Order: sequence, then C-alpha cells, then structure tokens
Amino acid sequence: MMKVVWSGVVAAAVLLGASSAYAQATNTGSLNVSATVAAKAKLTLGTSSLTFADADPDVTATMTSAALPLDVKARTSATGAVTLTVLAGGDLVAGGNSIAISNLTWTATGTGFQAGTSNKTLAQTVGSWVGSGSPSGTQTFSLPNSWAYNTGTYTVTLNYTLTAP
Amino acid sequence: MLVAAVAVAAGPAPAAAQTANGTLNAAMNGLARLSLSSAAITFPDADPDTVPNVPASQGPIGVTAKARTSVNGAVTLTVLAAGQLRSGVNTIPAANVTWTATGPGFSGGTVSATTPQTLGTWSGSGVRTGTQAFLFRNLWTYSTGTYSVTLTFTLTAA
Repeated sequence: MMKVVWSGVVAAAVLLGASSAYAQATNTGSLNVSATVAAKAKLTLGTSSLTFADADPDVTATMTSAALPLDVKARTSATGAVTLTVLAGGDLVAGGNSIAISNLTWTATGTGFQAGTSNKTLAQTVGSWVGSGSPSGTQTFSLPNSWAYNTGTYTVTLNYTLTAP
Repeated sequence: MLVAAVAVAAGPAPAAAQTANGTLNAAMNGLARLSLSSAAITFPDADPDTVPNVPASQGPIGVTAKARTSVNGAVTLTVLAAGQLRSGVNTIPAANVTWTATGPGFSGGTVSATTPQTLGTWSGSGVRTGTQAFLFRNLWTYSTGTYSVTLTFTLTAA
C-alpha cells in the first residue's frame, strides 16, 4: 500500500504562494446618490408686539419703536424672487378714535431690507432677494406725535408675508 | 485540503507501508470582491432648522468586502464621488455628504470629488461586513432641485 503524505507539501505550497504569487486585486461598486431640495420659506419676528411710549409732542415730535429683528429663511430656485411684505390690519384704533395707518412708517437695516410706509389695503415690501438664503435685518417704526390725537391706546396688527416661489 | 490530509495520515497503520511524497500546487491569487446592499440612496427634502443633517431614506447600506491577499497584505476600501451633487446648472459640494460606519475596520468620513476617502482598512485575507449611513448637510442656501451624484467604491487587496 502506498501512503501519500500531503500535509507538509501543501503547507509549503501555500506559504510559497503567499510570498510571491499574489498580485494587487481590485473590485469596484457604485452607489447613486440623490437629494431633493424643495422650496421653503420661514419668517421669524424678534417680538410679537411693539409699543410706542407716550411722549410730549413738543419734545418728541416722532415716536420711535425699538428695532424689530427680522430673520428670513428661504429656499427657492437660483433666480427665484423672495419677497417679504407687510399689510396692516387697518388703521391704528382706540375705541372710536383712529390714526391713519399711513402715519406709521419704518426704516430698515440689513441687506435687501427697505424702508416703507404702512398700508391697510396694499401689502408693502419690507425686503426682496434673489435665490436661496437666510438674510436678517431690523425694522424700526416711527409715528408722528401730534397734538391732534385723541387720548387712548391705539393698536393695529401688521401681517407679514414671506414668499419664496 | 489540509484537514483531509491530516485525517488520512491519522488512519490505522498497515502491517507494511511504503511512503512517497506528492506535490500539490494550490494557486491562491489575490482577489477582491465588494458588494453593496443597495445601488441607490435618496435624501428626502427636509426643513434645515429641524433636520440639519438628513439621513438617507433607505437607512444604512450594508457593505461586504471580501479579500484574499498575503498574510499582512493591506486591504483598503475607498469612496470617490464622480463630481459635485448636481441639479442642472446648480451644484452642492460633495463634501456636504458624510457618513458614519459600523463594523470592524470601517470608519466614518466625508465624500470627496477629488480624493478617494477611506471607508475601511484591514490586514490580510478575510470577509469584512459593515454598514455605512450617509448624511446630507441641509442648508437654506441650496437652490431647489433634485441633486444627484455617483459614488464609486474601490476595494483593493495589495
């Protein structure tokens, strides 16, 4: 009977291969990646109310509010027009008395923001931009302080609309 | 093969025996095989304020790297983007896609369109499995659109 002893020979062959027979091997795979970016608009007002403190018309001819921070975030196309407008809910009213809303004006800071005059029928532009981004600025309101006003606490609601097509 | 040979050698010894040597040549060439559990992933739209990093809808993908190399041979798995994420003329940098990884030898990273980024490194032959979870950096500055790019994975067994 012939018995063939393989074990030592196989081990030697494997070791020989390990030291000299290997060449670099490569294999590739691919993965397709897609991301959806949809239009969005988000407006944040720094406060929900502003107050003009009472003042002597001879000393303070124009009442000025604190600055209202405005944070605009918009995602649109590269050439999409982003607009921020404000529309007054009516005139400033205190019971049966009123002050015309056109007396309420504002100045603005920040890129793309602009000054304007309040209106109760036609939305007025507060800011305009092109393309996506997150500009911020401030809006400071002014109201002439007239001796002709009747006493009272006058209020009005301003509605802001941010549009990103 | 080695186990079978030992079993034969361990059998009962005959009364008379003759031995002879035979040579078995087993060619074990370098080999690398990579498989991904998915061919595509998608990042859904999300609010950047609430989801600053968007995970892929499919969740992590499974990665299996099989390699045959020398005892201490370096095995590497890299990822390279074909370019930036593109939607028409608009682009988002490939670097805004990152990943985390699980599994021995796998590592997290950031996608690049210029330099292959390492996803895994090992030493010697073996089968390595792990997962790769992609994240998309979600910014307000992006223009709207559906952006896409192809990632190429390369497994190398030195």
